[in-house]
Amino acid sequence: MARGDYVELHARSAFSFLRGGSLPETLAAEAGRRELPAVALCDRDGVYGAVRLHMAGKEAGVRALVGSELTMEDGSVVPVLVASQAGYRRLCGLLTTAHLRAAKGEGRVAWSELAEDNAGLIALTGDEAGPVRRAWRAHGARAAGEGGEKLRRIFGRDRLFVEVQRHHVAGEEAENEFLADWAGAHGLPLLATNGVLHATPSARAVLDVFTCLREHTTLDGAGRRLAINGERHLKTGAAMAELFCDLPEAVANTARLAERLEFTLANLGYRFPDYAVPAGETQDTFAHKMAYFGAQQRYGSVTGDVRRQLDRELALIAKLGFSGYFLIVWDLCTFARERGILVQGRGSAANSVVCYALGITAVDPIASKLLFERFLSEGRSDWPDIDLDLPSGDARESVIQEVYRRYGKLGAAMTANVISFRGKSTMREVSKVLGLPDDVLDRFSSLFHGGDYPHTLALKEQLKLAGITADHPRLEALVATCQQVHGLPRHLGQHSGGMVLSAGNLSQYVPLENARMPGRSVLQWDKSDCEDMGIIKVDLLGLGMMAAMQETLEICAARGQPVDLARLPKDDPATFEMIRAADTVGVFQIESRAQMATLPRMKPVTFYDLAIEVAIIRPGPIQGDAVNPYLKRRTGEEPVTYLDERARPILERTLGVVLFQEQILRIAMELGGFSAAEADELRRAIGFTRSQERLNRSKAKLGAALAKNGVTPAASEYILKSLASFALYGFPESHAISFALIAYASAWLKVHRSAAFYAALLNCQPMGFYSSASLVQDARRRGVKTLPPCVLASDERCRVDADDTIRLGLGSVKGVRAAAVQSILAARRERPFASMADFLRRTVCSAAERRALSGAGALNTLSAHRRAALWAVEAVNSGDDLFRHAPAADADTESPLAAMTLGERLQADYEHLEITVGAHPMRLLRAQLPGVTPAEKLGELASGLRVQIAGAVITRQRPGTAKGVCFITLEDETGHANAIVRPGLFESARLIINLEPALLIAGRLQNERGVIHVLAETITALPVGGLPAQASHDYH
Amino acid sequence: MNYAALVVPDFSLHAVRRSDASLAGRPLGIVAGEGRTAVVRAVSPEATGVEPGLAVTLAMARCPALVLRPRDPTAETEAGCMVIAAALTLSPRVEHTGAGWCTVDLQGADEARTLVTLRLRLGDLAAVGIPVRAGIAGTPLLAALAARSTETVCLVRAPAEFLRPLPLAWAEPTAAHAEILAGWGVRTLGDLTALPKGEVGQRLGPTGAALWERAAGETTRPLKLVEPKKSFAAAWAYDPPVESLEPLLFLLRRYAERVALELRAAGFVAEKLALTLLLEDETDHRREFRLPEPGADVDGWQRILHAHLETLKTAARVVGVRLVATPARPPEKQDGLFETGLRDPAVFWESLARVGALVGDDRVGTPVVAATHRADAFVLTKPAEAVPEPESAPVHAARGLVLRRFRPAWPVHVHCDGARPVEIVGGQIGGDVCAASGPWRSEGEWWTAAAWAVELWQVELAAGGLYQLARTADGWCVEGVFD
Repeated sequence: MARGDYVELHARSAFSFLRGGSLPETLAAEAGRRELPAVALCDRDGVYGAVRLHMAGKEAGVRALVGSELTMEDGSVVPVLVASQAGYRRLCGLLTTAHLRAAKGEGRVAWSELAEDNAGLIALTGDEAGPVRRAWRAHGARAAGEGGEKLRRIFGRDRLFVEVQRHHVAGEEAENEFLADWAGAHGLPLLATNGVLHATPSARAVLDVFTCLREHTTLDGAGRRLAINGERHLKTGAAMAELFCDLPEAVANTARLAERLEFTLANLGYRFPDYAVPAGETQDTFAHKMAYFGAQQRYGSVTGDVRRQLDRELALIAKLGFSGYFLIVWDLCTFARERGILVQGRGSAANSVVCYALGITAVDPIASKLLFERFLSEGRSDWPDIDLDLPSGDARESVIQEVYRRYGKLGAAMTANVISFRGKSTMREVSKVLGLPDDVLDRFSSLFHGGDYPHTLALKEQLKLAGITADHPRLEALVATCQQVHGLPRHLGQHSGGMVLSAGNLSQYVPLENARMPGRSVLQWDKSDCEDMGIIKVDLLGLGMMAAMQETLEICAARGQPVDLARLPKDDPATFEMIRAADTVGVFQIESRAQMATLPRMKPVTFYDLAIEVAIIRPGPIQGDAVNPYLKRRTGEEPVTYLDERARPILERTLGVVLFQEQILRIAMELGGFSAAEADELRRAIGFTRSQERLNRSKAKLGAALAKNGVTPAASEYILKSLASFALYGFPESHAISFALIAYASAWLKVHRSAAFYAALLNCQPMGFYSSASLVQDARRRGVKTLPPCVLASDERCRVDADDTIRLGLGSVKGVRAAAVQSILAARRERPFASMADFLRRTVCSAAERRALSGAGALNTLSAHRRAALWAVEAVNSGDDLFRHAPAADADTESPLAAMTLGERLQADYEHLEITVGAHPMRLLRAQLPGVTPAEKLGELASGLRVQIAGAVITRQRPGTAKGVCFITLEDETGHANAIVRPGLFESARLIINLEPALLIAGRLQNERGVIHVLAETITALPVGGLPAQASHDYH
Repeated sequence: MNYAALVVPDFSLHAVRRSDASLAGRPLGIVAGEGRTAVVRAVSPEATGVEPGLAVTLAMARCPALVLRPRDPTAETEAGCMVIAAALTLSPRVEHTGAGWCTVDLQGADEARTLVTLRLRLGDLAAVGIPVRAGIAGTPLLAALAARSTETVCLVRAPAEFLRPLPLAWAEPTAAHAEILAGWGVRTLGDLTALPKGEVGQRLGPTGAALWERAAGETTRPLKLVEPKKSFAAAWAYDPPVESLEPLLFLLRRYAERVALELRAAGFVAEKLALTLLLEDETDHRREFRLPEPGADVDGWQRILHAHLETLKTAARVVGVRLVATPARPPEKQDGLFETGLRDPAVFWESLARVGALVGDDRVGTPVVAATHRADAFVLTKPAEAVPEPESAPVHAARGLVLRRFRPAWPVHVHCDGARPVEIVGGQIGGDVCAASGPWRSEGEWWTAAAWAVELWQVELAAGGLYQLARTADGWCVEGVFD
């Protein structure tokens, strides 16, 4: 049979979510191998996998046809194929309508809707879930005929195909005979499909596992719900011809029908909305006007350099038709600023002076010598990507809702985020399906945290530790199936901030669904899909630090100490001194253990140093072996050299080391002779994480270009290694500078507005690297006192009482509702509480809330101590009706209870506030730990000394770049102590490390250049004797 | 000296340990809760570093050799019976207060003699792996607290001093009260009774006032005495051991009659009988009989037991027998108007028991098609006492010829042209294939060691006859002939 004589027109991928066993990319590759000219992907109730098939199909030489299985209101499933753009739009419309009126995953298409408008769609009668075969099986031939007739009435003879499938299942011929007879009787064409559910026979196991997950059962209990065999895979044209040798027209019709399916995603027809410009203006003229106006504001006067760059950028933006896009983003930024919401563009947009002039970004690209081509170039086929950082929480949501308001529910949506089966979730789900006991799963989960570095032990070894021995009868199936399932999509979530806009209804281009969050809709493609389809996305990202900074500024303004972030001195000595001392808890980006360990070596003195610091502790530079060379060159330990003299201007600022993506692109252009378009393709290959092949092609092309231009093999190798590393995770320079702005501003606020900064950080939790408890301890070390909540003095949120004093808010007391807090504040506004009885009479707190307030010390000003308050509030909390309405005056009688001890107060603090404003728990244990060195003393000891450290575990990390080494940070009453745990010790003490809230670690001290670590030799649990456990930041 | 309390600390742990010889000397923990909420409830001294209340995963981290077991109700019942039996030697007025906890009314008993007997019983129980502690005091509650407070025997003569340092939890406050009192810093019974009773009552209500009274040792209560006839069991030993059926059946009938009488007197019937034969080689033979209809008819019981025992061959002589009847209320049943039941269920079950005894219990039942794609697979289920209503007619009537299966299938060699069979060679059948239809493929249980895959062909032999061929990993076979 010749290539092209058979086309698979009914395939489902794993994007049918538990109804298909292979990725679209795998289907495309397999179709290519089997020489199928085209494949139609009909995922259930969506086109979730269509873009992936389209892109992978291009690589594999397989035409990706678009379709979908529609779940109808009666539960039957109708596969439809898209013949034209109109058909595609109709399909998206049908799916959107069905999904938006139902709960997530419950969307059903009404028969009347399908009948109303189906132009451009071609229907198949479907597989066993289709309206014909489903009725045939349940009710016989007559009902099946009625089901078919319904389809025929809707689609007519020319757009309905009777689908026949053969899977080597005994008895299936009876069904096929009926279908052939019925088709013949009604003059309808037969169409052979294999109803593909997985690319290859081996993936049938995945399908069985998914069936069990869908049906909430196990493989042992699933019975006939499992696949009968593995025949529903992609087959060659020859195999299908042989299978249907008695029905050759059914096979021939596949090619004929495929020819009629003119639509592919190559002609999606998407268009970005125009900005509503004033009369007499065009998108381009108005963008030009606003950019120049903004530049005037930014620079004071538009110099020649600025003018040249502005004109160059504006001309290119106009030529590419992006003016409207810039105006829309500018408008959103304006909207945010008018409402006092901090907003700042990040990423490659910071390379553009137009973005800077329009107020989208805060970095001057001319002063920073940033590469505009990293952001936009003539050769780019896709839209530029502008990401906006906003304060997380309500402020960001208000901007998102404004976008919905402006563009309508069908004109804007969040991009999807595909939630895939990852290590631990895969193990949990597959184990459950295989019937393994819960305790094994729990133990596995405890042993192997989600973000834990996974490669030290083979999966079988991990399982052995979790209790599944090598001779376990299901071990092989578990391991093999986990490997197959890993990486497949589990369900669709929404991206954290990616919004897509379109001219007209977005639902013409991609179906929309309800997000779990009220008021939000999400489209069926993720951000990579959108990028591949040229759909423009604006990322409205929520940054906890932006929210904290916003609140800091508000507190400062309210206290008459306003701060203008735009006018912060860029070289504040106190700020840099704090940064160099790695005293950066709470500071954006440079607060992690790894950053803190680098700061004393890096010793930043300028803003650009900070940008390098932000960028250097990333997997890209670490794997590219850029960190140590840079630091050594900086300290003069090694000479500054250049891989090629021509690269000197590019790498001068980074001492000859490649640290930023832009540098790779510039090298490609300067040394490799790449055009802007080629450099852009290189950029996309670096950023495209799904295809190693694409990156390899780009590497090969660059390698050849460098060789051709006389770059030495060694230099070429270094460049290509850097390229590969950046594909892992590397910052563009502009992005690093944008983040460094926030890092610097947050550091400045920490130094100069400490109280406001800590108060805001506490109010914005959870965020950042450290828990509230650690932040309070850090504040104490920096001289900022934290007062407990108080019904007479506290607001709802944490507030500043003095330059060195903050007071916790009443909202920080666990278990006290916002309504109760408001009632307290409202009553206090009327007049202060005169006594406990007065407080109890005029507030509407529940018994539990009164207890919580008492336990947290919030009623101490109305009573002698916490226990006295507890005694007093209980007087009106009696469970006995006789006592329930006892006069609140009883509350003011003297308490017979003794005041809490220091340890009890500590315990009560953690119980009710999750932090303590008093002494660190370790202070109470110190006397029992005579051989343990406090964290602050470690710096005074010499390297190589054996020491013991102890404290609450506040971070556990095993970054992928650390080759299995685990880093643990312990907090004691004096500060933080870091331990390095080698892989062998980690494996032997894995459970202790992962589960114990407090540890005692003994080992050799490493104290070099201000970087202090303990190389762990033994690790044991620290018996805390009822002291509270702190929250820890683990494996993120 | 009014009351004694016998209390086994960590009763669930000791009950499990004495039921399994393999646990001797090993670190053992009893688990409570499931999944992530599972904690170690009780722990043996060998489990160093593990404390009750610790999460299971953490406990395993601290003691990798730790053996974790759930509570074993059977083992606890057995151990509990021992404690009750011991208590009954002190006084006939015994209350089974809780798991591993008995209260004995000693009013009128001689103190010295009681103490001697008590120490003897504690020794006996310790010898069989049940460490009992005893408290003697003026009220049941005080006696219980005394037992909890000691390693051996505690006689309370000054209740107030005795109570003061005891933990508050021993007075069993409600969870809500425990939380409030913890907030107040009240940790001992003395801490609580130091507070004014009225003020406590005002704040914690009547249950709080009652707690205060308990903490002060002011509470007394009548005992709920053990009624031996509520346990419908009989156990006995043979000395010398028996080898033949007759003495076994004779005594079995005597005891069965007594148990049946006790059941009837209490208004119960039996729904299950459990028979345990203790063998000389220290093994046992256990069998549970679910009665066709709950009843107390000794003749019916005897028929079932007889049917089982007359074919039973044990590896060693029987040294003891235990018969336990599970009580149930007499059935009140009205037959359905159109229901077809067994005419005499007892005879039916008796017959079934006889068949089971001959061929093995796992080979008796009603075959039901198994929920699998594997052809001809079935499971045996308990026969229905009533004939079920016929299922409605299938949507599609069976087509084609009927397959008569060969059991077992005939192994053959098959020559193929490609995948298609063209010739069969075998001892019972052979010849050229003139027509073949197939293959029909099914496979399953890929996740087990019993994974299977079958390819079926329906063939016509040139010499005549239509057959079904199957190819598996073991080769080809003829599964049957189409009639």
